[in-house]
Amino acid sequence: MAGGADLEGTLEMTSAATAGPSSKAGPRRTPPLQSSAALAIPACIVVVAALLVPLAYVLLLSLNRSAPGVVDLNGSFTLANYTRFLSSSFYLRVLGKTVYLAAMTTALCATFGSILALAIWRAPARFRGLIIIVVISPLLVSIVTRTFGWMIVLGDNGLINTTLMTLGVIRTPLHLMFTDGAVIVGLLHVFLPLMVLPILTALDRIDPNVPQAANTLGAGRFTTATQVILPLATPGLVSGITIVFSLAMSSYITPALMGGPDSGMITTLIYQQFVVTFNWQFGAVLVAILLAVSLMLVGAILFETGRRTRKWMVRR
Amino acid sequence: MTDALQAWSFKILVWALYVFLLAPLVCIIVVSFNYEPIQSFPPASWSLRWYGEALRNTGFTHGTLVSAMVALCATLAATPLGVLAAIGLWSSRSRFKPAIEALFLAPIVVPGLVTGISLLVALAAIEVRVAPVRLFVGHVLIVMPYVIRTTLASLAQLDPALKEAAETLGASNRQVLMKIILPLIRPGIVAGMIFGFILSFDDVNVSLFLVDARTTTLPIAVMSYLQYSFDPSVAAISSLLIAVTFIITIALERSFGLKRLFAGN
Repeated sequence: MAGGADLEGTLEMTSAATAGPSSKAGPRRTPPLQSSAALAIPACIVVVAALLVPLAYVLLLSLNRSAPGVVDLNGSFTLANYTRFLSSSFYLRVLGKTVYLAAMTTALCATFGSILALAIWRAPARFRGLIIIVVISPLLVSIVTRTFGWMIVLGDNGLINTTLMTLGVIRTPLHLMFTDGAVIVGLLHVFLPLMVLPILTALDRIDPNVPQAANTLGAGRFTTATQVILPLATPGLVSGITIVFSLAMSSYITPALMGGPDSGMITTLIYQQFVVTFNWQFGAVLVAILLAVSLMLVGAILFETGRRTRKWMVRR
Repeated sequence: MTDALQAWSFKILVWALYVFLLAPLVCIIVVSFNYEPIQSFPPASWSLRWYGEALRNTGFTHGTLVSAMVALCATLAATPLGVLAAIGLWSSRSRFKPAIEALFLAPIVVPGLVTGISLLVALAAIEVRVAPVRLFVGHVLIVMPYVIRTTLASLAQLDPALKEAAETLGASNRQVLMKIILPLIRPGIVAGMIFGFILSFDDVNVSLFLVDARTTTLPIAVMSYLQYSFDPSVAAISSLLIAVTFIITIALERSFGLKRLFAGN
């Protein structure tokens, strides 16, 4: 990539521009590194050229008539692909399934994530590092590895079935793998850390006197946790919910490896269009719809929480 | 009484969640020492034979090489870009600052799958169909935001008095940058590099559309292997990866603190 040359050029330019005058004209009172926003230019160019321009190209491609095998953009635009998506009950059902799986995952993540964050927040400082490693561990191994681990836990000869059969609870193995439930469990495992961390950050900002005051005024541990601490952690919870929901909407590996025949999400269709049938125009429509629905729902979550928070502030 | 009950049920729930988080990883490690070619839990007899099988599997070894090369090149390219960007953001009072910050969030906000597809389509449009090049560009986008984030976190902790002292004593801006700022934020930069390397090495979503038959990364090689066979060699290669990642992670937690990598500011 040409980034290397740009980078050095900008570095030379900025250091000459900022260092030049002060070294010649002696101790002139210039704000230090003033033109330093220029240092960010190479990285901005990379993000624009490698991400935003390609993304815009894909969105434009979705407006071309679908032609399997054709990959170049042409000038005649149509909404035919969008009509095809919106008039098909199959595609709409897959979209509904995607939203359902993502919403279930997010709700479970929010519940268990708050509990874990509270536990870490209350834990003695010397255990904190260890607990954080445990909580973050799913993030640090490949998603393929994690999914494979769940195949061992949930499989017909897996941990759960063997345990239950040894205990005599069941005679024949339960079919836990290749179901919607398996997909939700897998996604929950993957995204739980991404929920815990923002909540924990919000908790760390709470003044320790506040829960103490609640205690003094006679609130029990449970009341303090649900009525005082969690409302104060709402900003972290909301940012966790938006991250997890949008990532769950666009997850591909977990549903592909752990889902059943009807657990296909919109990403499954995207993969088929781009890699199997080479209908890139229709694939681009699916990408556009995935992004639009994610953004709309995340926007709705942010709007609704904003409204409720304001109401809550007024009531006090 | 109810208070104690609530405290106990909370404790039990939290421990159940720890087990939930660790169970799949522990199961992989246990199964990797299985002797039988069929996976069962717990294994009936033990051996190291699947480690041998995994290391003889050319798909896995070649994939490891590709993943390591891509992650290394991407990290080396993304680090100077990210560090410069972070220093620029930190010291600038430009009115474009919020816009630039938002721009650097884009690679994290846009789903990996969409990033991969966009690169596939756009690079095909300019006739670039070489998998290593596609992977390199995609992985620079994976690593860079984390380098920016950890560098910014280190810069935020920098005592401004040090910079002012150096300036008062007559250091040029360049000297302040090279002799004061960079050495002080080195732990943050290194943490971002290591974490970016791990994320790049483990990535599937971005790479899925950028690999080809001859150049496949390790996670994707493992995934395609899983689709037609289910023997413990996958468990063996996964265990090796878990071991390496955990050693690096513990070192990272000791030196930098993991929470700061993810939680922003």
